[in-house]
Amino acid sequence: MAKLIWLCLNFVILCSTVGAVFEDQVGKFDWRQQYVGKVLFSNFDAQSQSSKKVIVATENNVFASLNIRTGELFWRHVDAIGPEGKIDALLHHGQDALLVVGDGRLLRSWEINIGGLNWEIVLDSGSFQSACLIGQQDIVKHVAVLKKTAISLHYLSNGHQKWIENLPESETVDYQSVYSGGNGEVYVLGIVPHSHIAIVVYSLDDGEIIRQFSVEAPWLSNIQASCAVIGEGMLTCADSATVSLYMLDLESQTEMSQIPLQSLGLEVTPGFQPVLRSTQPNAARPPLSEFFLQVGPEQHLLLQLNDGQIVTLRDFNPALLVSFATTGEKTIAAVMSPKNTTACSVNLFSAETGRRLLDTTLIFPLDPNGGKPEELYVQAFLKKDDSVGYRVMVQTEDHTLTFIQQPGRVMWTREEALSDVVTMEMVDLPLTGTQAELEGEFGKKADGLFSMVLKRLSSQLILLQAWISHLWKLFYDARKPRSQVKNEVTIENLSRDEFNLQKMMVMVTASGKLFGIDSKTGTIVWRHYLDNIPANAAFKLMVQRTTAHFPHPPQCTLLIKDKDTGLATLHVFNPIFGKKSHVTPPAMPQPILQSLMLPVMDQDYAKVLLLVDDQYKVSAFPSTKNVLQQLQEIASTIFFYLVDSSQGRLSGYRLRTDLSTELIWEVVVPTEVQKIVSVKGKRPNEHVHSQGRVMGDRSVLYKVQ
Amino acid sequence: MLHRDRIPLLWVFLQAVLVVALGFSDMETGPGGAGVSVQQPNGDRFKIEGRAVVPGVKTQDWVSSARIFVEGEEFVGFVRTDGSFAVNDVPSGSYVVEVITPNYRFEPVRVDITSKGKMRARLVNYIKTSEVIRQPYPLQIRANGPQTYFMKRETWGWTDFLMNPMVMMMVLPLLIIVLLPKVVNTNDPEMRKEMEQSMNMLNPNPELPDVSELMTKLFSGGSKPSSKAVTSKGTRPAVKRR
Repeated sequence: MAKLIWLCLNFVILCSTVGAVFEDQVGKFDWRQQYVGKVLFSNFDAQSQSSKKVIVATENNVFASLNIRTGELFWRHVDAIGPEGKIDALLHHGQDALLVVGDGRLLRSWEINIGGLNWEIVLDSGSFQSACLIGQQDIVKHVAVLKKTAISLHYLSNGHQKWIENLPESETVDYQSVYSGGNGEVYVLGIVPHSHIAIVVYSLDDGEIIRQFSVEAPWLSNIQASCAVIGEGMLTCADSATVSLYMLDLESQTEMSQIPLQSLGLEVTPGFQPVLRSTQPNAARPPLSEFFLQVGPEQHLLLQLNDGQIVTLRDFNPALLVSFATTGEKTIAAVMSPKNTTACSVNLFSAETGRRLLDTTLIFPLDPNGGKPEELYVQAFLKKDDSVGYRVMVQTEDHTLTFIQQPGRVMWTREEALSDVVTMEMVDLPLTGTQAELEGEFGKKADGLFSMVLKRLSSQLILLQAWISHLWKLFYDARKPRSQVKNEVTIENLSRDEFNLQKMMVMVTASGKLFGIDSKTGTIVWRHYLDNIPANAAFKLMVQRTTAHFPHPPQCTLLIKDKDTGLATLHVFNPIFGKKSHVTPPAMPQPILQSLMLPVMDQDYAKVLLLVDDQYKVSAFPSTKNVLQQLQEIASTIFFYLVDSSQGRLSGYRLRTDLSTELIWEVVVPTEVQKIVSVKGKRPNEHVHSQGRVMGDRSVLYKVQ
Repeated sequence: MLHRDRIPLLWVFLQAVLVVALGFSDMETGPGGAGVSVQQPNGDRFKIEGRAVVPGVKTQDWVSSARIFVEGEEFVGFVRTDGSFAVNDVPSGSYVVEVITPNYRFEPVRVDITSKGKMRARLVNYIKTSEVIRQPYPLQIRANGPQTYFMKRETWGWTDFLMNPMVMMMVLPLLIIVLLPKVVNTNDPEMRKEMEQSMNMLNPNPELPDVSELMTKLFSGGSKPSSKAVTSKGTRPAVKRR
């Protein structure tokens, strides 16, 4: 009885000493980073020098507002995961942002300054096609949403529906876009592929059909991809087969006039579909008459529509990305062209004349470890002397957002690839020189008493030396002025701390970018972008050699498998520095079924990775003679299982000495009854000490390896 | 005879109990149980509306980080700039509606939606799931206060010194000894008699044999009893002489 009381007391006392978080401990041992994902749509809140935020809508159903100066989030709103929360369109007007969510299920209006919802309405069913702001007499008060079978007009102030009309002949005609030039008419453009274009004009006030006509266009297959409305209602389409531009005046219902590009002296790269890009800075006014025509993968033309004639203003070759921006009454075109292998330059050109604006060059540094630039968002503003200044936000292939100011100063970067981390490993940091010496003392063989004493004395001397140098460095740092003392975490001075708490977090993201993050501060120490990652890829990260085996560098292996074809590639790298390892991984022409890491080590302490291909043959990495010999010895004790979830088959194999496999057992789980969803093996560092464990109710729990 | 008088009374009592029981249970027991709700994905979808208020804080400060969870993350809604909210596309069933903000704590509310679209809001009770304590609909949710994530650090206070058991054992008796005579009037003869009586109770009864004397008698033998007899005899003649 006394013993029970004593146990209870112990329990109570020990429980009460379990630590809790106090308010002053916040931020000392923890950090948090918030990401939004790959940007689909983005708008600056005002095209002026004093604007403070940029709103972004991303692929991960996140709508957020970023601070222009620091890149930090003001607020973000994460919607439901999956197609229900998918953001289809973003329209921006003043302080309001309109979002169409969930394939046309909801229309929401957000107040950008506060981050709160203005209103939210449920749209009628039908899949979403397009949306646009409708203005009249220089004021924008309505928004039109085009669905597959109907078009609805809503008030901007409260979202109430003004009118909804069914589209005529919506079974045959694919209505793809909606346009308004600010004169009280809403144009809906539809197409019957390779037959004709159908245009329906609705009145803004009550939804009456004012006009309806169709125009022959046997060469056209998709309006949204090939056409744009330019100037005062001129629908312009580009066709690659006939290498010409087709124009149609939407006001007067004439035929489409064809303008071959050769007559303008222009050429299209063969096989390339030309793309038109127009700009409508004010929704209550018609679009500008200047537009971009992309005729090659790196060639853009600035053209102008002048009284029905097309004039070439400027030819940009090579040009990676182009974009329009409007500030006040001036519209400029920003063109990004490659300068050399490590940088691109962005220049501004006047949209009306095509002349380059002076002193507007901006250098964008290209990260060799990152991807190519994908999108360019320009914020232009008028400076005090009426010249145009601008800032640029570039989105690259690896989902990184970079914000650059003139003349090339990077204000901030956001690594949005980290919004989708697939797997990660924590790797110990390397030992310092003194720590390695101390560890060496325990590893070496004992020669004799005298030598052991000498070794001990030498290691103590090394420690003393390290301590004195540390003290000296402290005093030296204290005497330097504060601004010069740098306390950053850099790759060079990363080493283990006393209790091995600070580690390197190696993260693999779904876009194929690898990051090395310091666990104490959360700073990204290194990054590496793997290009040519298949779209549907599975990743597996394994630590083959840790930092405990100096002088061999630590080694991590990333297995990237394409889920559709089954082909896999190996990427071997050093987890502390992120650089690719000198060890060449084996080529794997066959699809890989299973990978297995053995505790068997090579001579240089690298664990052996076995890969099973679809011919049930096994290859080992590293495949040196030593490893093959070891494998031959233990081949009969290596078993692995394969799961085929489409057929519901679990099979067990055993390795033979010639690195082929033999089937040992097979279990079939019929797929009509249930489907195998996921398979989980035991952790690699778990040691199974007993075959079975006795549970509380006297049943025995077996662990099957 | 006893039983016959009581029977009608018993009958009335039973009827009263029945009526009360029927009154408390709801005829229209909504589909109870968190998560176990009759889902009709192809049926009508309804809208849950309400308003959330944090007393003393402007709405624009907390609205940008707020979300409305209906049955966990199944249906998510956002809060408008004036604090009101609406969650669309909710099929009929019973749901727990919570306002989630990192800074303020709100009470959850359970909303039952019938298949015809009638809404009923009641308090959340996971133990008695069919208990109905009605709440106003459209929902009006107030914040209870800021979220407490941290434990308070233990602080020193002057009471810590006083509540120390060692101090209490020393200081309190001191106070009692010093203050009690001042409070109690010792000149009063009745008070004195009471005090003397309480003192007498502490004294041992002279009639009872003393245990220590018994022990010494047992161990020492003859000499002591003679001295005892002398002393007792000494006192007796003194008394007799009188």
